[in-house]
Amino acid sequence: MGNPLLAFWSRRVEREEQERRARRARLLAAAASSSKASETIFLVLRRMRAPLIVLITIFSISVLGLTLIPGVDGEGRPWRMGFFDAIYVMSYTATTIGFGEIPYEFTYNQRMWVTISIYLTVIGWAYAIGSLLALLQDRSFRQALALQRFSRKVGRLAEPFVLIAGYGRAGELLGHSMDKLGRRVVVLDRDPDRIDGLDLESYHGDVPGLAADARDPGHLGVAGLNHPCCEAVVALTDDDEANLAVVMAAVLLRPDLPVIARATTRTMVERMRAFGSPTVVNPFDVFGDHVRLALQSPASYQLLTWLESGPGAPLPQRGSPPRSGRWVVCGYGRLGRELTSDLRAQGIDVTVIDPSPHDDVDDVVVAGGFEPGVLEGVRLEDAVGFVAGTDNDVTNLSLVAAARRTNPGLFIAARQNRPSSAPLFAAMELEALLVPTEVIAHDVYAQLSTPLLYRFLQDMPARGDAWAEALVDRLSDVCGDRLQALWKVRLNIHEAPAVGGWLASGEARLGDLLRNPENREERLHTVPLLVLRGQDATLAPESEFELAPGDELLFAGWPAARRALQTTLVVDGVLDYLVTGRRQASSWLWRRLSGPRPPADAPAGTSRG
Amino acid sequence: MNLEKVVFGFFVLLAATLNFGFFIGDMRDPEVHNRYELFAAVIVNLIALVLKFGDRTQIGAVHLATSLVAALQLIAAALVYGYATYVSSAGLTEQFMAAIVSLSGGALLANVVSVVLLVVETVSFHRG
Repeated sequence: MGNPLLAFWSRRVEREEQERRARRARLLAAAASSSKASETIFLVLRRMRAPLIVLITIFSISVLGLTLIPGVDGEGRPWRMGFFDAIYVMSYTATTIGFGEIPYEFTYNQRMWVTISIYLTVIGWAYAIGSLLALLQDRSFRQALALQRFSRKVGRLAEPFVLIAGYGRAGELLGHSMDKLGRRVVVLDRDPDRIDGLDLESYHGDVPGLAADARDPGHLGVAGLNHPCCEAVVALTDDDEANLAVVMAAVLLRPDLPVIARATTRTMVERMRAFGSPTVVNPFDVFGDHVRLALQSPASYQLLTWLESGPGAPLPQRGSPPRSGRWVVCGYGRLGRELTSDLRAQGIDVTVIDPSPHDDVDDVVVAGGFEPGVLEGVRLEDAVGFVAGTDNDVTNLSLVAAARRTNPGLFIAARQNRPSSAPLFAAMELEALLVPTEVIAHDVYAQLSTPLLYRFLQDMPARGDAWAEALVDRLSDVCGDRLQALWKVRLNIHEAPAVGGWLASGEARLGDLLRNPENREERLHTVPLLVLRGQDATLAPESEFELAPGDELLFAGWPAARRALQTTLVVDGVLDYLVTGRRQASSWLWRRLSGPRPPADAPAGTSRG
Repeated sequence: MNLEKVVFGFFVLLAATLNFGFFIGDMRDPEVHNRYELFAAVIVNLIALVLKFGDRTQIGAVHLATSLVAALQLIAAALVYGYATYVSSAGLTEQFMAAIVSLSGGALLANVVSVVLLVVETVSFHRG
């Protein structure tokens, strides 16, 4: 503290950090302004130059002619029209209002000139109005308008929002789930049809969308990358390169934001990880992990799918996939590769069927899989599992049907590529189904909506099958066979003002917190899933677990339990009853009247921490 | 040679010269200020104004501003002219004429700035 050198050093570091931040803000502003270059007003002005000049010229020639041509007044004396009269006459003539011949009747000379002027001015007006209408229809003009409207909407956002780059199927699913949570999203996609479709979708909140290439950092800037309310960036385009570009832009320009990106190859995952620590979701990897988990520990897989499906989901059946035996994988693409290596890592024999030969894998049969005799050729009768993993839905469905006919007892997994094939795959009643876009949407949703649950799901498989089985039993005892609410509590001054002193006492046991405030003998219908202290997570803590201030807790249980817990955390004195069994008067007067409590009985302080 | 630059320079200069032509002469004498010249000055200034639309550079913005000032002043002068001729019972008096000419003098100043800008732009343009 007293070391001047240290103080100097820390101040210097601080200043450097500030400078770096300012520099990043400048970079982003420059990138954003480059994409705003086509502001509408300048576009209109530039486009309307020629029509306006034509109009002015025609008008001035007509007016000048009228003032120069000699006419006569009411009594037949020679008379020349002044500029004011001429402008007046030409104004109503040119706009086809036509008041007549004012102030005196025209001579034939004047009429001839007016006839010529009428045609000239009508052409001028038609040209000007025509160009203006053409401009309104113009694509670049509409884009400029849309960009302006979009950036105004994003600029006005005053609540946290998630920036989704790439609004495909996965983006749509994610957007809708975030919207249901009441969170705002901003959408960027290259396809104008997808963005136009936003208006027709049933969102609760207004979703600003821009049809632009997400690879351009300027577009990301307009979409709110430098907005203080931006809470996360999600890159979900179907192009890995574009996702990498989004990750780069977000990590370099806003290092403080969490970034989640989709990647479908391992190389791309590595390239993305080179930039800081973005979270990368590889749907095939996730599916491979799920299949591996399902094989390794069915109870963990059951718990995972139950918790991931969200509130209201019925307890899924605990599958009993074959643990030993040979598998047949059709299609050695991205999914086939992941799955084959995952299965082989389990010590399972895998036979691969693929139309093109591969060197990096053994036991390959080069065939499409649907030719007669191929499935018999790989001895499907004595295999235990079958994966239809090509990128063609029709092929996958026919493969599944053929495999099932050959060997009805197979464990069958398939990949669904297009959302429109969903009913067909559902009718097939498969043991495992991969829908890449849904896997991505679920995974990103879990990370953004309830980070604690995501942490739980990450750490849970390591605990083993028996642990998971016990937890599933505990959960179904408490909740029944449908998952109830999932919620988190942070033990800080804002969310738990009434228990600060108790937490600081060092004797704060989780079990005491989970008693019913009405009757302390009753336990609340809830299961604590996770306690997060700093970076350390404790899974399914026991009731003896000691809590500390600042802990984050994730609970699953009845909504009523959530309300009861809320009461304990917020209302003074309730916790006192839960811990000691003594009701403490809640009003000041009654507290005075009941007198000071004997010190031995009193738990350390229940006052506001 | 760039035809666009020729047209642009032509109109900017013509606006200034016509304006100057109308302005020159005894301030109160209607005889030495031709109304056709004022009309031509208004029209040419309007065209010069439109020609300057849509340029987003700094010098383009100043160009546009000077033209706006000149056009507004000249239109004001024309309005005063019309008022004096048609509406006022006193007719085109010396006071009116002085007002008209001084308004056009203001416009002339703006037009001169415009010409100076044009010259500066040309001089600061390096070939290659």
